Amino acid sequence: MAAVDEAEILFALIRHRYADRLDAAQLEELRKTVDGLVRDLAALRAVTMADDEEPAQPFIPYRRDP
Amino acid sequence: MSLAFRTIRELGADIRAGRVSPVALAEEALQRLDTVGRKLNAVVTLTRDRALTQARRAEEELRAGRDRGPLHGIPYGAKDLLATSGGIPTTWGAAPFKDRCFERDATVIERLEQAGAVLVAKLAMVEFAGGMGYRQPNASFTGPGISPWAPDAWSGGSSSGSGSAVGAGCVPFAIGSETLGSILGPSTYCNITGLRPTYGRVSRHGAMALCWTLDKLGPMALTADDCGLVLDAIAGVDARDATSIDRPYRYDAGAARPFRFAVVRGTVDATEPGVRDAVAAALDTLKAIGSVEEITLPERPYEPMARIILWAEGASAAEQMIESGAIAGLTAPEDRVTPYARDVILAKDYLRALRLRGVVAREIDGVLSRFDAIVGPSRGTAGPRLGAEFRSAIRGSLPDLLGAIGNAAGLPAVGVPCGLTPEGMPVGLQFMGRAWEENTILAAARAWQARTDFHRRRPPLA
Repeated sequence: MAAVDEAEILFALIRHRYADRLDAAQLEELRKTVDGLVRDLAALRAVTMADDEEPAQPFIPYRRDP
Repeated sequence: MSLAFRTIRELGADIRAGRVSPVALAEEALQRLDTVGRKLNAVVTLTRDRALTQARRAEEELRAGRDRGPLHGIPYGAKDLLATSGGIPTTWGAAPFKDRCFERDATVIERLEQAGAVLVAKLAMVEFAGGMGYRQPNASFTGPGISPWAPDAWSGGSSSGSGSAVGAGCVPFAIGSETLGSILGPSTYCNITGLRPTYGRVSRHGAMALCWTLDKLGPMALTADDCGLVLDAIAGVDARDATSIDRPYRYDAGAARPFRFAVVRGTVDATEPGVRDAVAAALDTLKAIGSVEEITLPERPYEPMARIILWAEGASAAEQMIESGAIAGLTAPEDRVTPYARDVILAKDYLRALRLRGVVAREIDGVLSRFDAIVGPSRGTAGPRLGAEFRSAIRGSLPDLLGAIGNAAGLPAVGVPCGLTPEGMPVGLQFMGRAWEENTILAAARAWQARTDFHRRRPPLA
């Protein structure tokens, strides 16, 4: 999928959710912001990573000691 | 004996020698904040009652021989994203919260009280710590932060009041926060020294969450030495912040040694000309205290990675504010709109950014294992103007390789003044170290400040 197509699709989601609270100029601002995000996402997706590369995000099991 | 532009060490010596009292220091800080600080839009709330109570207690304790250490009786300001009790508002710089109060103190506020420091003000900040996507300085209900170096220059954000209050000599130190540049940026534009600690070094309990895995709290002061003194007081594990790490820290102000510095190819040339020239000259000066080796890093989308983590977590942390439409009450027009765009970040993409972050953390640690610090510009620009859009790594309009890597990998960095542009605006140099190596980068920064006087230059608006 070309980046521009994805941006259009994702922007449609934003418009669907929030268009009732935004004017035309604000929607255009959002369209540009989505374009930038899609460029960032494309750059990220271009990186090859091994399956065992886990997210750098620790989860710590919780136990409340008496 | 004036408080203005005197370091924590100097003021501490003055107090103990009886040349000045903590109450007199608090009174002067309050007065200076109320005049100079307000002109710079640095102040949200003066905490006069609490300050004078703490200052009187410090006087009594010191008189009785109970010395809590270097911060005892020293006034400071806190970025207004740190919770404070006692009816002192905590606004996050956002108009919808301008009267909001908490019933507790943030851990950092508690620890500074235990160290005997005197809270004189809650300091201005960009609304929601810049997490809504602002792109021009007028993004706080207290007005745009102004640099003490020019009436039409921005102080930087999001720790704008922390930067300008210290830079204008209103307080000897302040607490700021950094998610992606909010300590080093204002420290640069206000010509002060700012320390971004290792992620997990300082408890975030009671601080506004912008991005849980990127947020750090740290000191902004006149010297690297003072930053070390403050970090010593605020560092340490906290059961109320699960990401704080049980790794004891004691500031070591020991003698300097020859250092090994690395410069990442391209980072200096990517800045604007005035910054580039000052940083290039600084790299030459650094050769007097160590070796400087140019290096290259693996090709990675460092900045997109950091931004996706920031925007995804920020959208979740502020979900209620965004979904309810309450962001319409924010000051910056773009902050009322931009957050909606973050709905397009898919969970898989966010996780990909977190996975890449682990790869980057290991790679950069491998690089740093051969050096004491990577050095480079703290900021690629100097003196952004109040009425104009600024260039920013957060928006993708300014390269900030070191900021993206350092923040995403949770690495400490200290930013120090390193010169002025031909227009007279401050330029900053940063030392970024391995995780938990605050003492190493502070030693390098002290060695730098022992050889230069950029940190002692005073701004015209002070």
